[in-house]
Amino acid sequence: MTTLPLAPASPDVTCPLCGFEYVPGGASCREHGCPIALGSCATRHCPRCGYTMPDEEKSAAARFVRRLFRPRPRHAAGTVAELPAGSFGVVERIGGDPALQARLTAQGLAPGVHVHVLQRAPTYVIEVGETSIALERRVAEAIALKRS
Amino acid sequence: MDGAGEMATKVEHAGAAVREASPSPAHRIVLLGNPNVGKSALFNALTGLRATVSNYPGTTVEVYRGRLGGNGAEVIDSPGTNSLMPMSEDEQVTSDLVRSVRGEEGAVVVQVADAKNLRRALLLTLQLGQLEVPTVLVLNMHDEAEARGIKVDLLGLEAALGVPVRTTVATRGLGVEGVLRALASARAPRNHIPMPVDLASPALALLTGGQAPAGSPPAVLARYHEALLEHASAIARAHASEGGSHRALVSRRLGRVAIHPVWGWPILAAVLWALFEFVGRFGAGTLVDLVEDGLFHGYLNPWAIALFSHLPWAFGRDLFVGEYGLLTMGLSYGLAIVLPIVATFFTAFALLEDSGYLPRLAVMSDRVFRLMGLNGKAVLPMVLGLGCDTMATLTARILPTRKERVMVTLLLALGVPCSAQLGVILAMLAAVPFQAAAVWFVAVFGVMISVGWLAARVLPGERGDFVIELPPMRLPALSNVLSKTVARIEWYLKEALPLFLVGTFVLFLLDRLKLLGAVTRAGEPIVKGVLGLPAEASAAFLIGFLRRDFAATRLFDMSRGGGLTVVQLVVAMVTITLFIPCIANVFMIAKERGWRTAAAMAAFIFPLAFAVGGLVRVFMIAAGFGGAP
Repeated sequence: MTTLPLAPASPDVTCPLCGFEYVPGGASCREHGCPIALGSCATRHCPRCGYTMPDEEKSAAARFVRRLFRPRPRHAAGTVAELPAGSFGVVERIGGDPALQARLTAQGLAPGVHVHVLQRAPTYVIEVGETSIALERRVAEAIALKRS
Repeated sequence: MDGAGEMATKVEHAGAAVREASPSPAHRIVLLGNPNVGKSALFNALTGLRATVSNYPGTTVEVYRGRLGGNGAEVIDSPGTNSLMPMSEDEQVTSDLVRSVRGEEGAVVVQVADAKNLRRALLLTLQLGQLEVPTVLVLNMHDEAEARGIKVDLLGLEAALGVPVRTTVATRGLGVEGVLRALASARAPRNHIPMPVDLASPALALLTGGQAPAGSPPAVLARYHEALLEHASAIARAHASEGGSHRALVSRRLGRVAIHPVWGWPILAAVLWALFEFVGRFGAGTLVDLVEDGLFHGYLNPWAIALFSHLPWAFGRDLFVGEYGLLTMGLSYGLAIVLPIVATFFTAFALLEDSGYLPRLAVMSDRVFRLMGLNGKAVLPMVLGLGCDTMATLTARILPTRKERVMVTLLLALGVPCSAQLGVILAMLAAVPFQAAAVWFVAVFGVMISVGWLAARVLPGERGDFVIELPPMRLPALSNVLSKTVARIEWYLKEALPLFLVGTFVLFLLDRLKLLGAVTRAGEPIVKGVLGLPAEASAAFLIGFLRRDFAATRLFDMSRGGGLTVVQLVVAMVTITLFIPCIANVFMIAKERGWRTAAAMAAFIFPLAFAVGGLVRVFMIAAGFGGAP
């Protein structure tokens, strides 16, 4: 019979299975009877339900895999044409000829507006608030973004 | 149902915010709004299904008009626009319509806004304020905004703008009553807009002048929009909360998948296949058989012939019910063959339009049109061309530069088979081996790409920028699709049917004057020598000058009799596909681009069609095609 530790004042891990909040580093593998590793594997165990999850602080591999599934918004600077799909930024300047500028600003694209680059092919597609706009490369080159 | 009822009461309640003034009924209502905010849905909710479509005077921009149920006030649906500063023909029409309301007693602008996208809508509202036009602001798609957790402070917004603000869900008719009641209290939006001094007066002059600045617009325009947007953002931030995440919405997913670099292609293929099945098989096949063979050949034509047999005047008999009779050929052609095809095509087109797929089609096809020196925007006239090239020639006007308009007009006349012709061509191609059918496709498509490529280099001027807004994908509303289709069919019959009659009459005259035979003999060397076709085929090509689908039908008849080999069939098909579609199209090109351009195009297209036909013949013989089909 093991005694359960009380939930500490500032818990920093939440068990994804039972929702219990705990400070990692309590019970070790061996105490849980883990058959694979004897104490040094990079995992955490929920003290309440015993659910095992990877310790991303210890394992670079776990961090890498996790990142693949949870793409972080990438904030980047440059023209829309230069940025990878998925980038976020804030419009710094609209270039190009006056006619193009007038058209883009009428569509709500003006300095200070948040832009999300959705894709680059078959054409560039950006999202501005609730509006999606498809544009070709030479227009994408006219929209300069800075980090938000 | 319960949800809808709740919505209605909520919407009604919101409508009580500005006190209704004494009812001085509006007699003219102009609907205004950004593209894809549900303007047409509100228009239908206001007018029922009694819209008529017409071209705005002096333009090819479609304007829908209808009347209110109650007092019969005129309701005009203007083309969607992002700014009242006219930068294209569509926007010029909208700007004219709005300015026509200025100072007119009882004329009101109802601005329709996407409740989720207040900032962009307010840019227009502020311009309406500068123009001092009585306005009612309608926040449409209120349900979608609520679903995203966007809360709009209606009273605060009314106070900030100084106009009545109402909410609607136009597709379900919710809140429309509130809009009608608010018409009487419409007033000009407040127009105290902070703006740099050097900007205010030139911008206002441009706005009230309402003329597109000659040549390139001054840089003032972009800065003017920026200043308006900044003010609009401030108002939107103060009176509407930000929406939550909406990534999981199915429509949004679908909208993304439809332009996905990989998954977009199978979807494109499926859409084109469905379009072909519906228009090519169902419309041009099933329906045409039903109407032409059943109704016209079975009943109407025999009746007409029986009726006119009492006429003791042979010339008159032949004129109406002879081989080139106005009734037996002209009218039955226009109503029995073209009408079913055009009706199915307009239905399919309205579905594509209302679902939001059309701009995505432009994205997917941008690369192909880039090869031809155009961009994805050209897909709209090109797809329309598969319905009717003459009508599509009109819509070439949506392209921003003269160069693109000329190029699309040329390519339409050269290589895009209209639905009437496509039906016949597909039937003929079904009779030849697959490789032979592929030769037809490669030849026509290859000619279009090379001519486009050349024209892009030869013609002066620049290609316009490709910037196109992608509306969310939606389920089209049946009432919208039907009313739009019916209004377009009406327009088409008024425009096209007289031309069928004129074309038939010209044929009749040629036949009467024995010119048909003479021209046929004169064309024989080319038809026989270059194309290697039987002499009778030259009559078909002569008719092809008038309507190329008439010609295709003639050739089809010849091939059904077993009179053509595979090579002859493909050669004939290629040549006739490359012909100018019909005499109506020539008139349309002349009307749109001038007689000199029309003549130059004809002088280019006809010899090219024969030359390519001759080359295809040489190629096919060398490649070992042959034998009877």
